[in-house]
Amino acid sequence: MMTTFNTLLLLAVALAIPGVINRTRALLAGRRGIRFLQHLYDVRLRLRKGAVYSTTTTALFRTTPSVYLGAAIVAALMIPVGDLRPMLSFEGDVVCMAYVLALGRFALVLAAMDTGSAFEGMGASREALYGALAEPALMLVAGTLALLTGHTSFARIFAPDLLPDARFAVVLLLTAYVLVKIVITESGRVPVDDPRTHLELTMIHEVMCLDYCGVDLAMIQMGGWLKTALFSLLAADTLAAAFCLRWWTAAPLAVALTGVTVGIVESTRARNKLVRNTTFILTVAALAALAFFTGYLLQLNIGLE
Amino acid sequence: MFFLCTLLALAVIAAAICAVPLRAKAWTALAIVAAAGIALAVEAAGVLAGGGSRPLWAFDSLMLGPDSGSLDALSAFFVPVIVIGAVAATLYSQGYLRHALAHKSPAHVSLHYTALAVMSLAMLGVVVSDGGYSFLFFWELMTVASFILILFDAERREVRRAALSYLIMMHVGFVLLVVGFVQLHAATGSASFAALASCFAARPFLPLFLVFLAGFGMKAGLFPMHVWLPEAHPAAPSHVSALMSGVMIKTGIYGILRVAAALNDMAALRTAGFIVLSLGIATALWGVILAASQNDVKRLLAYSSIENIGVILIGIGVALLGKAAGSHAAALCGMAGALLHTANHSFFKSLLFFGAGNILTQTRTLSLDALGGLARHMPVTALLFLIGAAAICALPPFNGFVSELLIYLGMFKEIAAGNDTLAAAAGTVALALTGGIVVLAFTKLCGTVFLGSPRTHEVAEATEADNVRLTAMALPLAGILFVGLFPAAAAGIVTRTARFFLPTPTVVNDCLLSPTLAAVGRTAWLLVAVVALLVWLRRRALRGRTVVQGLTWGCGFTAPNVRMQYTGESFAEGLQSIVPSLTRQDGEGDAVGKNEIFPAAHRFDIRRKDRIDNLFAAWWVEALRLLNQRVMRLRTGKINHYLLFALAFLGLVFLLSIFNLIG
Repeated sequence: MMTTFNTLLLLAVALAIPGVINRTRALLAGRRGIRFLQHLYDVRLRLRKGAVYSTTTTALFRTTPSVYLGAAIVAALMIPVGDLRPMLSFEGDVVCMAYVLALGRFALVLAAMDTGSAFEGMGASREALYGALAEPALMLVAGTLALLTGHTSFARIFAPDLLPDARFAVVLLLTAYVLVKIVITESGRVPVDDPRTHLELTMIHEVMCLDYCGVDLAMIQMGGWLKTALFSLLAADTLAAAFCLRWWTAAPLAVALTGVTVGIVESTRARNKLVRNTTFILTVAALAALAFFTGYLLQLNIGLE
Repeated sequence: MFFLCTLLALAVIAAAICAVPLRAKAWTALAIVAAAGIALAVEAAGVLAGGGSRPLWAFDSLMLGPDSGSLDALSAFFVPVIVIGAVAATLYSQGYLRHALAHKSPAHVSLHYTALAVMSLAMLGVVVSDGGYSFLFFWELMTVASFILILFDAERREVRRAALSYLIMMHVGFVLLVVGFVQLHAATGSASFAALASCFAARPFLPLFLVFLAGFGMKAGLFPMHVWLPEAHPAAPSHVSALMSGVMIKTGIYGILRVAAALNDMAALRTAGFIVLSLGIATALWGVILAASQNDVKRLLAYSSIENIGVILIGIGVALLGKAAGSHAAALCGMAGALLHTANHSFFKSLLFFGAGNILTQTRTLSLDALGGLARHMPVTALLFLIGAAAICALPPFNGFVSELLIYLGMFKEIAAGNDTLAAAAGTVALALTGGIVVLAFTKLCGTVFLGSPRTHEVAEATEADNVRLTAMALPLAGILFVGLFPAAAAGIVTRTARFFLPTPTVVNDCLLSPTLAAVGRTAWLLVAVVALLVWLRRRALRGRTVVQGLTWGCGFTAPNVRMQYTGESFAEGLQSIVPSLTRQDGEGDAVGKNEIFPAAHRFDIRRKDRIDNLFAAWWVEALRLLNQRVMRLRTGKINHYLLFALAFLGLVFLLSIFNLIG
């Protein structure tokens, strides 16, 4: 029962975030903006279309959208909303989630190479590099959470009976900040990537999907929503744990956190020059290391008392 | 008696392979390897199923005391790994060498197959002997046999060069092992691994431990002793690369495990754990960054082997640290992960090297920037290679993920328990970064070789490899899928093996890992089911709609050509810009100059060299040569001078013993 509720909430978060981002951007630009659920209408339209495939591509190109979306679905099933029980939960699912998502990235990068296009190769190479650099940050976040709670499963980490010492709040806050930055990196948002750029040369994620259309493109977009939602929920869960908030705050918090942050950032600043991106991501990893180290020192101190 | 039997067996193998006609040599070698391997594997299965260790031979050696061989849990684990690798490689060679048979002499081919069979049997000998004389015998037999195997294309200069450097480095390692075993024998009166524990307990453990670590590490490809690997693999025929990379380097891991298991003292365990963990981190990162920079298929795979050895060592380091801290759960996870990764790597690396062999014979090149679009012409090879690549990137639902997850779990358990937290965190970061860059390296490899458009005409006319080879590739594939989809079953075997390392077997119950791994298995199946469902839904949705083919979107440019594709070099350019100092770039030919407005045709060849190679071209090589020159003055060629030297030596010994300087 609770598991189903968890999954439904997760779905709701995934569907709401793009709408909130659009609405925030519109408000800040003084526009009325598109409908809140416009992205859903767009996807419905795409799901009804036929397809055009490049003559260079193989069966891999056609299978990739299923792998990408499938991986995102399975990874999302491991994420608790607040302290509700997710469908998949076992020791080590923090690692499993990262590697299931890596499967999606692997497939998408290969599909981009499958088209034999210079632009898509460019995007693929960038995505592979930034994904590789973001991995240590994610694992350090997992390590910090394991350090504070003694568990390696999201469901156990965010369980209500295991709230860590209140003095760890600062560490959790920093961890949540790192997670928000990971959301931005993983879902290709400003300042790492700009989904609305008009120039293929400067794209990362979008340029990899240039040759997709119709159903395939819709599947990749839905996978992207789920990916954004699952990282946002992790950030929200961490924040809720830091301030001992009730479980039901997690879902709205996730939507607000990502939706508003991304909306504001995209309205107020330009994207990075590409060479700055590695610095950006390595800074995120350094912040994660800082959070871990602070947690370690705090724990040593608390242990001494 | 023992050596007489062994030599007789070798002679019979050689005679049998020489006697049969040219086309039957591969099958004869396969029959020998399979018969011996399966017989031993059945015994090993008995040991793993719960029997105690089985003695195989025992005799008194002249130099290193009593010598014996037996199958215990650790040997029993390595036996099937070696057998599967060896049988697959021999079967593969049947198809791979078929075309080479025409222009090689029968004696040459016989020698190759004899060496192949001997090498497989020698590796089995290495893991069943208890140490001492017979261990060193099999170890050396393995080295010599693999040296002959590398030399199959001895008419090429770079092959001879690589084989020679391999032989020299292996013998440096061999000397270290001899030193280790002689010291062990001197200290305890026995040179078997069983005596190591008392030796480590009685005196400072570090010197002997480091000697063994360096000796075995040389074979395993431990940083910075890995330089032979990327030279030897491209030179050797592909089935030999598969055998060496998939199986042979694991005998080094086997040795390290034996030595690690003999450590008992807490402080010693901790020191050893730090050493092994930091070496593992260095090896993994160095291997993976260089793998991502290579532009030759086999070189890339060789560096990825180094990276995987690093991952295995990280697991062993975690196990050592866990044991030192008394955290058996962490120790079990680390050790189980290291063992499972050893088996896993032998599966996917064999598969990948077989794939590289198919590419080489069908297209005549292994250069990434000459290949492309092979998935259309060699679909089965492409699919198998892709599965191998996904497995080596530790992606679920394949096997690499299961072992890396176990290693992660070991590290997280140490972090959660507060033991050696920073070391475990460093291991986690290294493993995560390695995992990320591996994905980059293998998407680059698969993307430039199999996807896109062919970059040359030869590649565009490639055909699929023969069925014998594809069958041989099915063997490691079965291993990949079994471990990936039924991790709980695989972990049962590994947990039982890992007991050799843990102090009291009763502390560890099998239940510790099985719920986790059963859940991992369920997740893998769920992933497969979800993806299959989505594929089906998508196909259903597209049925009856317009699906057309068109040119790749060129962003407005309508005349794209194959030269515009992203190459391997450009794919890794981003990584190169962050870590420039690990490689030295050697270019041949000249690049297009900035001032050329209408550039003519240019030939340009880039090779990224390992900076560690510089170690072997540094000042000390020249110093050694000069020293050698001076010593050579003593070689006068006159017998009376030599007699004088002998007299002087005796006089020296006499004087030294008078002053009690030597015993």
